[in-house]
Amino acid sequence: MKLAYYPGCVSLSTGKEMDLSTRAVSAALGIELEELEDWNCCGATHVSNELVATGLCARNMAQTDLPIMTSCSICYSNLRTAAKQMEDPDVKARVNAVLTKKYSGASIRHALDVILEVLEKNQDLLVVPLKELKVAPYYGCLLTRPRGVDSPEFPTILEKLIKNLQAEPIDFRLKTFCCGGPIFMPQQKAAEDTAFKILSEAKKAGAEVIVTVCPLCHFMLDAKQKALEQKRDEKIGIPVLYVTQLVGIALGLGPEELGLNMNSVSPMPMVEKVYERMAE
Amino acid sequence: MPDFDADRKFKQDVLRMAGAEVQTCIQCGTCSASCPTAHLMNPSIRKLIKYCLEGRKEEALKNDTIWLCTSCLLCTVRCPRGIRPKAVVAALKDIAEREGIKSKDAAYELIFQKQIREHGRISELPLTGEFLFVFPQAAVQSMQMGLEMAPRGKISLEIEKIKPEGREEVKRIIEELGGK
Repeated sequence: MKLAYYPGCVSLSTGKEMDLSTRAVSAALGIELEELEDWNCCGATHVSNELVATGLCARNMAQTDLPIMTSCSICYSNLRTAAKQMEDPDVKARVNAVLTKKYSGASIRHALDVILEVLEKNQDLLVVPLKELKVAPYYGCLLTRPRGVDSPEFPTILEKLIKNLQAEPIDFRLKTFCCGGPIFMPQQKAAEDTAFKILSEAKKAGAEVIVTVCPLCHFMLDAKQKALEQKRDEKIGIPVLYVTQLVGIALGLGPEELGLNMNSVSPMPMVEKVYERMAE
Repeated sequence: MPDFDADRKFKQDVLRMAGAEVQTCIQCGTCSASCPTAHLMNPSIRKLIKYCLEGRKEEALKNDTIWLCTSCLLCTVRCPRGIRPKAVVAALKDIAEREGIKSKDAAYELIFQKQIREHGRISELPLTGEFLFVFPQAAVQSMQMGLEMAPRGKISLEIEKIKPEGREEVKRIIEELGGK
């Protein structure tokens, strides 16, 4: 399988482990990735003019004829929304008038969806089954909204993947609740309130690890976890992995290939547990 | 004396940007009930839509509601009338930014958009740095996150830039399609 790959801006900084693990897992699964030529920012959640946001995404989509894969749910949602907007002939004409390479259609996939498809056909690649590992499936918002790979209200694709890795998805009430990430800079308290609710709920539900599909969710739940614990005087201590990192562990890839040393809450004790359970 | 023309134009601008279906709002409040930051909003997102339809520009723009939206889109997938409340919020942000209504939140978005216009991509360090000039109160949080990220090699000191032709194209997209 050959796909165009859209890393997104975060992959060059705070989400380096998302990019590393996406590339490593894709290679291990025989998915060939061709990075999009000279890609630009999708606009994230900060370009309020819809036509401009569509234009920024259309420029990216016009760089390739291959289906485009991304690991970032924000990029994913934005590209899909733009592709939908470009179905309107008037929007398409206005946007194409300013693009160098013209947009003529695109197919957008999230890494989660691609990985699950390949894994289901290649179960022999799972050399480290994640036996008994209690995983909180955290979808956040933009994987499934406004429209995406699964139901926006009751998605189950992450649970399906988790079971495929032989781990146990826990019943996670807040799995589609927003992490608050997009407003964390100017509206710190509002964002931290929602992020902490998610962490606290995962703890109560007995999660050994939280799995995310978006770098901003990851930032709020992992990088901010220690600061939130101190502020609320409540210990959480749950590692938060990108879905590609979790899959990588099950594929037997090493910590460095998956950037596990870059996570704030170290997932290494959890990884050791996985190996111990496998040996039992 | 209220400026009726300006109010009418405001309503038309919102409808043009967010979709004519906004007029079909039945004020059921599903949007507010779904919103993760609703408890902090005043007016609620439901009321904000009412203000837009009544052309009450001042009341619609001069509050924190639009800046508390996390873009989670729950309102948008749930609206029984097929309205996109998030698009109403986006339209109001666009108007506020265009008219120079000052707030730390608008400043953050404008810095973000400026980075895209100039470099084609976002680099965390200059984004945060420039925002701190506007809103120094974010310094504690930023330092904390910097200390968290730097030892893990997750803060790049370089400014990410796409190729010069790409930058020209991105600038054209933003300027000619109506950006700021």
